[in-house]
Amino acid sequence: MSEIIYVQPFDDNFTTALLPELILVAGLFALIIIPNLGKATFRVPGTQIRLPYFLGGERYSLISNPRLPSWIAVTTLLLAFVEVIMNFESGLQRYMIVSELLPTTINGATAGDILVNGGSHIVPGSSKELLLINDFSRLFEMIFFGAISLAAIASMNRLQSFDSSDKSTNALYNNRRQADFYILLLTAAMGMAIVALAQDLFVLFLGLELASFSSYVLVAFHKESKEGTEGGMKYFIVGSVASGVGLYGLSMLYLWAGTLQLGELSVAFDAAMAPQGFPALPLIALGFILVGFGFKVSAAPFHFAAPDAYAGASSPVAGILATASKAMGIIGLTRMLLIVASPESNDGSAIWLVALGILSVVTMTWGNIAALGSDNPKRMLAYSSVAHAGYMLAGLTAIGAWNWDPELAGHGGDAAIMVMTAILFHLVVLVCFKLGAFLVLSILESEGEVSKMSSLRGLSKREPLLAVSMFIFMISLAGVPPMSGFMSKLLMIMGIVKVSIGNMGDALSNGDILSIGDAHWVWWLALIMVLNSAISMFYYLRVIVTMYFHEPEGDRQGPLPIGWQVRTAIFACVVASVFFGINADGLIELCEMAANSLNYSWASQ
Amino acid sequence: MQDLISMPLVGFPIIASLIIMGTISNMSEEVREKLVNPIRWAVLIFSLVLLGLTTTMFYNFFGDLNGFEGIAFNTYEYHIRYNWVESLGIHWSVGLDALSFPMVWLTTLLLPVTIIATWNEKNGAFYHPLLLLMGGALIGVFVALDLFMFYVFWELTLIPMFFLILKWGGEDRKYAAQKFFIYTFTASVVMLLGLVTLYFLQNPLEPLAHSGTMTGRTFDISSIVSHAHQANMGGNWFLGASMQKIIFAMLMLGFLVKLPAVPFHTWLPDAHVQAPTGGSMLLAGVMLKMGAYGMFRLPIALFPHALEYFQLVLMAIGMVSLVWGSIVCLGQTNLKKMVAYSSVSHMGVICIGIATMQPMGWAAALFMMFAHGIISPHLFAVCGAFKHHYHSMEIGSMRGMAKHSPWLATSMMFAWMASLGLPLLAGFVAELMVLIALWHFLVAEGWSVLWMVGPALVLAVTAAYYLWSMQRTIFEGGDETQPPASMDGQPIPDIGNHEKLAMFVLAMFTILFGVMPWIALDMMNDWSIQIFEGLIMPILGNFNGGV
Repeated sequence: MSEIIYVQPFDDNFTTALLPELILVAGLFALIIIPNLGKATFRVPGTQIRLPYFLGGERYSLISNPRLPSWIAVTTLLLAFVEVIMNFESGLQRYMIVSELLPTTINGATAGDILVNGGSHIVPGSSKELLLINDFSRLFEMIFFGAISLAAIASMNRLQSFDSSDKSTNALYNNRRQADFYILLLTAAMGMAIVALAQDLFVLFLGLELASFSSYVLVAFHKESKEGTEGGMKYFIVGSVASGVGLYGLSMLYLWAGTLQLGELSVAFDAAMAPQGFPALPLIALGFILVGFGFKVSAAPFHFAAPDAYAGASSPVAGILATASKAMGIIGLTRMLLIVASPESNDGSAIWLVALGILSVVTMTWGNIAALGSDNPKRMLAYSSVAHAGYMLAGLTAIGAWNWDPELAGHGGDAAIMVMTAILFHLVVLVCFKLGAFLVLSILESEGEVSKMSSLRGLSKREPLLAVSMFIFMISLAGVPPMSGFMSKLLMIMGIVKVSIGNMGDALSNGDILSIGDAHWVWWLALIMVLNSAISMFYYLRVIVTMYFHEPEGDRQGPLPIGWQVRTAIFACVVASVFFGINADGLIELCEMAANSLNYSWASQ
Repeated sequence: MQDLISMPLVGFPIIASLIIMGTISNMSEEVREKLVNPIRWAVLIFSLVLLGLTTTMFYNFFGDLNGFEGIAFNTYEYHIRYNWVESLGIHWSVGLDALSFPMVWLTTLLLPVTIIATWNEKNGAFYHPLLLLMGGALIGVFVALDLFMFYVFWELTLIPMFFLILKWGGEDRKYAAQKFFIYTFTASVVMLLGLVTLYFLQNPLEPLAHSGTMTGRTFDISSIVSHAHQANMGGNWFLGASMQKIIFAMLMLGFLVKLPAVPFHTWLPDAHVQAPTGGSMLLAGVMLKMGAYGMFRLPIALFPHALEYFQLVLMAIGMVSLVWGSIVCLGQTNLKKMVAYSSVSHMGVICIGIATMQPMGWAAALFMMFAHGIISPHLFAVCGAFKHHYHSMEIGSMRGMAKHSPWLATSMMFAWMASLGLPLLAGFVAELMVLIALWHFLVAEGWSVLWMVGPALVLAVTAAYYLWSMQRTIFEGGDETQPPASMDGQPIPDIGNHEKLAMFVLAMFTILFGVMPWIALDMMNDWSIQIFEGLIMPILGNFNGGV
């Protein structure tokens, strides 16, 4: 593994380190400026000389195309996505952006300073670690950029556009929603990328809020429908309360430890484990922060706004909420629970273990049972996404159950990496089939409201290939082999079982007689999880039955509107859903690498 | 070694059917309608090629003691292993032994027979590719020698069957198809958790060959079986007593639901009654046997101690299935439902055969799987012919069919007789062997032989419901016949040539394996003795007299 290069903002290596993010910034500027370009001129007073200044006036024919913003945004996002992938391809160089990097030659390093990069040093306490670029954060950026670019492609012809022959600036006002929408998508991507990279809880919070505010507006953007505004409002209110509670937790944490740096907090948490118990303040703070991130991953009981938001938002946006936004919440939980708050309690597991275990069981069961009763496909997918959040929380719980006994550390580390791999794998493939399912609904939506299961009726007759795609997404969501959803479910079960069994295998080889009671109780989480996935079969099957075995009804007849962009996106999702199911090795290795880089102490033990 | 299994038997059927379905799904109804016949022929010819291939394998080993007979426990013919997911120790690993080969041959036999039997049904262009997909998935289950691959195909069989029931089923098909899917899916996810727990608990002292780079464990069945065998031989229980029992129970749950055994059987009558004829034939013929096959392949081979521990439970489940299935049959008025419950009853026989823990009992169970796989499609073909020609399956609604439909009446009589265990037909051999093995078991356990009265009486009940239903359907009525009300006064038809051909083929094989059972029975016997000598006796001692 290569050394981490420390970088000061706007210094050497800064552009190399943050190239995908800088691409996004450039794209954002382009998106704001380019549609405004025109033949505007400025007459120098008192003369006849007209100087062109290009902003405003009669716009150029290419620029007056209402689809231009979408193309700029899609290109930007795809460029960033490709850049991240190429980073992985060429062997990832890890960078840490720190607030202050002092050259040792000028003011010599004192004792306690950390020498980095051969010739520089950082002063602990005064120079803050801001952003960390490693496999873990890059993998999440891959998820974010991938999901948002798919959604951007799919939204291309969702927004109403006016005639492009009108080249006046007024036409820009008429088509302004085109630009607004994509600007919001890009800012959401920026915020999520910051969350992925952040090494300081305050930076993380900034990114979180940037992404959240963009997504509140995106949800309400579907203003043609009553549900759009309502869903956006609910999402905004509940989301801002959750953020506020989370921020309060952060402030309490700062009050307690005097820092918001992840590394320093982690040290503080480890040191706080006194024989008489853990101090209350950081625990309360942790609980508050859990609420904030729990809302983002839509864990029960913080999920109430999610179904309304998903149902109200246009389908591609709902897809982003269900995939990228959820991944963002998982990063927050991972950083908070696994990096910061991971001291062991009396039984050798993490202090938050029982709380998170209960949360995961409640979340997956609640999500599945609520999904059973919902007749709105988007609400159904929302609840299924709650259930999937529960599965991932179960995985996080299992990591917390890592037996901290140093004699068993080898097993614990391996198992923790395995579970983390499973969570990452799940988040990646979730983009394929969850977003894919929303995109199918998006095509249906361009024809009319999709608020009843009956709008899916007869899809197999109207659009056979779309129906097959939806079929693949549904069985993938349910975890039926050989789809990628099965692979992720299998990995998750395997990880949890590995954690719970720990070193029982060794004991068995020694001839000790063990029962299932000797396994850690997180084993039962795996059982609850598989039973839940059996429950979930009901509602996924209902979609399939509706598509294939009900006649089309009402005015929903014949083929759907053509939109080759969204169809391309769906096709990509189908291919990925199947491909990662039958040829998962490469992705598993990638995720394993990322899981390794989250916490090097796991691997080294 | 040449890979005669992966692509020819598993890959091509699945890929071909996916390609066909993918191509036709985007065509208009008219074009699709024109393509029905070419597709039907293509699938039929393709399945006949498969049958030819497996029959050649059969022939190669017939009388050849170096073939499926005489190969040692846990070795396989045509064994090929490729890496699939290296980090987790997942392989594409296929092979055949005397346990799986008869099932594979049976699948390839039933595919063309099913297609021929339902030749004249108007099923559209998707029906035959789905049957082919089903066949490929079923063969995949039987040849898989990797837990992951086994599970993948195990679940993959659900999808074509789900669509077969849903698309071409009866009135309540939506309910039946979803019940079928969810019932078996629930059981198999529990099985999956058992498999994963097993995967991590098998902790070899040094990593086995074929282990995953990430986990250090393997999904390869033959490696796990040999490792389990070593552990069991060491005087300990593989995985320890308590864990072995739990995992045994979790795996058995998946297999017993699939079998199905009472009390997990309720999906079967619904699925059968609603399924189209072709679906029923494959469902009863091969899909149910996946349960029995899985029991032999995994829990029995891995956990002989636990099998001994649960022996009486399994025996009780078998007995209850046998008795309950046949008693419920007596009360049925729907021909197909009656046949479905008779399947439950016959699966109880397999369960008893396994629970006797005698080489003969296991050979009998294997032969029962095989014989029932030939006879029950015949039963369902007859039911399908009734549905197709008389639009009714109510037993009491028709009388004296022998007069107007002599071919159907003959076929029905033959199939019914085969199923109730007439000597010289395949079913009889299996039932007789199970009864003998049960006798040995009772004697060895020191139990009263009077327990035999139960199964013997059940055989009488079986004869009763079969004969009674025949009497009410094809004979009674004197000179008068009573066509079912659903005929609306139409002339009463007989079965067509295609149905005659399919039923004739099945009848011939029923007679063949009834008169000369050793063609298949020898290798099954040999396999049971091998597994007993290699596995059971060294571990559990000279068990139950070890007849």
